[in-house]
Amino acid sequence: MAGGSVSECKEYLFKVLVIGELGVGKTSIIKRYVHQLFSQHYRATIGVDFALKVINWDSKTLVRLQLWDIAGQERFGNMTRVYYKEAVGAFVVFDVTRGSTFEAVSKWKHDLDSKVKLANGNPIPSVLLANKCDQKKESSNNTALMDNFCKETGFLGWFETSAKDNINVDDAARFLVENILANDKGLPYEESNGDRIKLDKETVAAESKSGCC
Amino acid sequence: MAAEDLPSEFDVVILGTGLAESVVAAAFSRVGQRVLHVDRRSYYAANWASFTFNGLLTWIQEHHEESQPEEAQDWSSLLEEGEELIYLSSDPASISNVQAFCFTSEEDEEEEASSPDPPNTTEEETGGANEDVVKETSETESADLKEEETKEKPEERADGAEKEQRFTALNDGKSTVQTDVFRPITQASKTDGKEPGADQPTASAAQSQSEPAKKKISYAQLVKEGRRFNIDLVSKLLYSRGSLVDLLIKSNVSRYAEFKNVTRILTYRHGKVEQVPCSRADVFASRQLSVVEKRKLMRFLTSCVEETEEQRAYNGRPYLEFLCDQQLGDNLQHFLLHSIAMVTEDTPTEEGLSSTRHFLRCLGRYGNTPFLFPVYGLGEIPQCFCRMCAVFGGIYCLRHSVSCLVVDKTTNRCKAVVDSQGQRISCSHFVVEEGSVGTDWKMVTSPPRFLSRAVLITDGSILPSDSDQQVSMVTVPPIAAGCPAVKMVELCSSTMTCMPGTYLVHLTCQSVGSAYEDLSPVVTKLFRTPESHDQENCPSVLWCLYFNMTDSSGLEVEGHHLPSNVFVCSGPDGSLGHEHAIKQAELIFQKILPEEDFCPPAPNPEDIIYDGDNNSSSMGGEENGGAGEEENDGAGEEEEEKKEVLEENDGEEEKKEVVEEEEQSLQTEGIRLQPLETGSGSVGGSDSCSPPAGSQISRRDAVQTPEQHTASTHNPQRESASCMMGN
Ligand SMILES: Cc1cc2nc3c(=O)[nH]c(=O)nc-3n(C[C@H](O)[C@H](O)[C@H](O)COP(=O)(O)OP(=O)(O)OC[C@H]3O[C@@H](n4cnc5c(N)ncnc54)[C@H](O)[C@@H]3O)c2cc1C
Ligand SMILES: Nc1nc2c(ncn2[C@@H]2O[C@H](COP(=O)(O)OP(=O)(O)O)[C@@H](O)[C@H]2O)c(=O)[nH]1
Ligand SMILES: [Mg+2]
Repeated sequence: MAGGSVSECKEYLFKVLVIGELGVGKTSIIKRYVHQLFSQHYRATIGVDFALKVINWDSKTLVRLQLWDIAGQERFGNMTRVYYKEAVGAFVVFDVTRGSTFEAVSKWKHDLDSKVKLANGNPIPSVLLANKCDQKKESSNNTALMDNFCKETGFLGWFETSAKDNINVDDAARFLVENILANDKGLPYEESNGDRIKLDKETVAAESKSGCC
Repeated sequence: MAAEDLPSEFDVVILGTGLAESVVAAAFSRVGQRVLHVDRRSYYAANWASFTFNGLLTWIQEHHEESQPEEAQDWSSLLEEGEELIYLSSDPASISNVQAFCFTSEEDEEEEASSPDPPNTTEEETGGANEDVVKETSETESADLKEEETKEKPEERADGAEKEQRFTALNDGKSTVQTDVFRPITQASKTDGKEPGADQPTASAAQSQSEPAKKKISYAQLVKEGRRFNIDLVSKLLYSRGSLVDLLIKSNVSRYAEFKNVTRILTYRHGKVEQVPCSRADVFASRQLSVVEKRKLMRFLTSCVEETEEQRAYNGRPYLEFLCDQQLGDNLQHFLLHSIAMVTEDTPTEEGLSSTRHFLRCLGRYGNTPFLFPVYGLGEIPQCFCRMCAVFGGIYCLRHSVSCLVVDKTTNRCKAVVDSQGQRISCSHFVVEEGSVGTDWKMVTSPPRFLSRAVLITDGSILPSDSDQQVSMVTVPPIAAGCPAVKMVELCSSTMTCMPGTYLVHLTCQSVGSAYEDLSPVVTKLFRTPESHDQENCPSVLWCLYFNMTDSSGLEVEGHHLPSNVFVCSGPDGSLGHEHAIKQAELIFQKILPEEDFCPPAPNPEDIIYDGDNNSSSMGGEENGGAGEEENDGAGEEEEEKKEVLEENDGEEEKKEVVEEEEQSLQTEGIRLQPLETGSGSVGGSDSCSPPAGSQISRRDAVQTPEQHTASTHNPQRESASCMMGN
C-alpha cells in the first residue's frame, strides 16, 4: 500500500474504515476530522464513499487518508466486500450515552477481523472511539476497564472523543496512522498489483501493457 | 448490526443481488429513489457469487441438502380491502447435479513420497460438515484399475458449516490398499424432470502418478489457504468494449474494482493446446502460422471490419461456409470460427461476422486480448453496484426475503410486499430474481435450458510459458460429434482468485447432459486426473467441482402473469460477456423511469478535499485551472450541490477537487483546496499501488450531501472545463 515516491517525498494512501452502530457519530467524526465541521442535523450520508484527508505527516511523508463511512448497509451489518477490500486500518465507534452501542463493538470488531486482514495475515490495526464524551454523565473512571477491553478485543487503544467539541479526534487519527505506518514498513510491496487495470485509465493501462513507463 | 425494523415505504424493492438486480438497484438509488435490496442468502451476488474455498464447500453442502420448501405462511391478515396476495417461491432450484472430487492427498505428505498411503478409511469429520470428497490416496501404481463404485453417498451431516471441512475417503471394501478410490460424493440433484439427467458417475479407480515430480498441494493446504480463493459460480469475461465495461466507466462504479487483462487466447486442437494469434503483433510473432497464412489472416481481419456485398450474400448460411470459401486453410478457419468468433459450425454468417467484429473492436483497448477479468473474481461486480446503491442511500438486508406481494385487484399493481418477517412494506415497483418467481407465474416461451459448469483447482498452467501469471481464455470445440463446445478460463493467482502455486480453471458449456457428463471428458483430455492416461505433461487436477445452473437467457423482464409493476431479472446466461444482464437492467430502469438518466456518474469522493489544518503544501504546486461544474444528479427533489472544481493539467491525469458547501452557520474558512498529487501517470507510481478506492477516477461530479441542502445557498458554479468520460 505504500505510495510511490514523488522526489524525496514518500506518499501513502491508506484506506481506513469507520464502523459502528447507527447514530454513534461516525459521519460526524469524519466531518469533524476532515472538514472541521459539526452539525446536529442527523442525516444519513448520501453519495459519498469516503472523505479524503491529506496529512503532511512529516517533511518526507505525505499521507492521504481515505475515511470510508458506511453507507446504507450499516443498519443490518451487511457490508459488501467492496467496503472492506484492502483497508489498512479501522475506527470502531460507539456512543457513550448508549450502552447498547458499546455492546455492539465486539460484534463489529469480530466482523472486521473476519473480513479483512493485512497481507501478512494479521488483523488490521483498529482503534476504539468512545464518542459523544461531551455528553458523558459524570467522569466515571473506567479507564482500566476500557484498557482491558481493548486488550481482549484486539484494539490498539481507545479514545474518548467528541465530534461536537472536537475532542481527541485528531489524536485518535494520529495514533492510528502511526500504527499503520509502522505496519507498512514491514510489509512487502505487492508487486502483482502493478498490472492491475482501473477502467478509467485506459491510456495508462495500455502504456503499461506495452511496457513503457 | 442492530436488527431493527425496516422502513415501511420504498420506491423500489428488489429481491436478489445478482448482477442485473444489483445494477437496477444502483441505477434507482443513484437518481434518488428509495431502494430496499434484499437477498434471502447470506451472501451477495446470488448465482453470480464467488466464494473462498471454504465458502464454496459450504455452498456445495447447502446444495446437497434436501431443501425443505418453507411452509408458506399465511399473511392474508395483512391484506386490506380489494387486495390479494401472490406468494413467491422460496426454493429456486437453479443449481443441480453438484459433484465435487478431490484428487490430492488429504494432508501434506512430507515423508511419504515413496511409500503408499494407507487407505484412508477414517472418517475425519470434525463434527462439522461432512464434505464427501473422496480423494486419491495412493502414490503407487494402480493405474488402469477401474472399480465400480456404486455405493450410495453417506448421509449428510449438516451442522457446523463453519467448521473446517474434511473429506472422507470412502472405501468400498473391495479396494485394496493400493487402490485409489474416488467418486463424487457431493451430489445434489434437484430433479424436476426438466433438467439434464443427473449422471451418477460411478467408479474409477485412480491412476496415480508414477513419480511424484513435485509435491502436490494437499487438500489440507487448500483449506488452510482457503481465503486466497475466490471461486465464481459464473464464468464470464468482460469485453473491453462491452456494455458492462461501458457501464462501469459511465457510472463510476469502476472505482470499486480493478481488472486484469486476459493475456492470451488459447484453443484445443489435434490434442494440443495452442495459442491463437489475435492481435497484429501476435499474428506476426506467431510461430504456428506460415507467412502466407499470416498475410491471409491479416487480410481477412482487415476486410471483415466493413460489411461487404460478398458477406451479405452469405446471410443465413453458416459462417463456416463463408470461411471455407475464403480459402483460409484449416488453421485459420479454426481460429476464426472457434476462438475469435467463438461460434459453432452452424452459426449463420452474419452472426459469426458480428462476433468477429466485436472481438476485433475490443482488441487493444486495455491489452492484447479483448477481455478483462476482475481482480478477486466476478462476484465483485454485483457488489460494486450494491455498494454504489448503498452509498446513495439504498438499504441492504441479507438473509431476508420477500414472501409475497400485495396486489391491488382492480389495478393489478403490486402495492406492497410482505417480507420474511411478516412486515408489510409499500413500494411502487418490485424487481425480483427469476428464481424466486414460481413457475406458475412465469411466461416461458422456450424450454428450460441449463449450463454445465466445472471448476478445477490445478497445479500448473495448461500451456506453460515464460510467465506463470497468465490469464487464458481457452476455446475447446466439441471433442466429438454431439458434444458441446466448451469455454474455459484459466486464472492465475495474481487475479486473487486462487492461492499461489495453483490455477483456477472454469469450464462452461450449454448442457447436453449433466455437468459431469458434458465436461469431465474435456477435463480428462486436458488435465491429469485419476481417469486420464498418458498425460504426464498436463497439469494435475487437485480438486474439482461440477454443477448445472439454469440458463435463463430466454427470460423476458415483463409479460409474466404478474402485476404490471413487477419486473423479473434473469440469472446468468451462457454467453461469455455480460450484455444480457446489463441490457435487462437498463430495460427495467427505462420502463420504470423513462425520463431519468441510467447510472449517471457518481461524484468522485477524492474530489472532495477539505484540508482544514495546515498548508496546502507539497504536491504539485501546479497551476490550477479554475473550473467548476454543476450537476443535476437527477434526484429530483434534492437541491443541487455546489462545489468548486480545480483542475490540474498534468499529463493525462486530470486532477480536480471539489469543495463542498459549508453547512449552516459553520465557517469554512479552514477549508482549502489542495491538489491531490502530482499527476503520476506512470506505472509503479502511487497510482498503481493504491487501493481500488477511487483514487483514479477522473470523472467529476457533484456531491450530494443532504445536510447541505438545509443550507439555503445555491450558488451557480463555474463549469468544469471537461468531464473526462471514460471514452
Ligand atoms: C466482505 C467480506 C466477506 C468475507 N467473507 C468471508 C467468508 O464468509 N468466509 C471466509 O472464509 N472468508 C471471508 N472473507 C475473507 C476474504 O475472502 C479474504 O480472504 C480476507 O479478507 C483476506 O485474507 P488474507 O489473509 O488471505 O489476505 P490477502 O489475500 O493477502 O489479501 C490482501 C488484501 O486483499 C483483500 N482481499 C483479500 N481477499 C479479498 C476478497 N475476497 N474480497 C475483497 N478483498 C479481499 C484483503 O482485504 C486484504 O486487504 C471475506 C472478506 C470480505 C472482505
Ligand atoms: N453531543 C454530541 N453529539 C454528537 C457527537 N457526534 C455525533 N453527534 C450527534 O449524533 C447524531 C448521529 O451522528 P452521525 O454522525 O450521523 O452518526 P452515524 O450514524 O454514526 O454516522 C447526530 O445528531 C450528531 O449531531 C458528539 O461528539 N457529541
Ligand atoms: Mg452516518
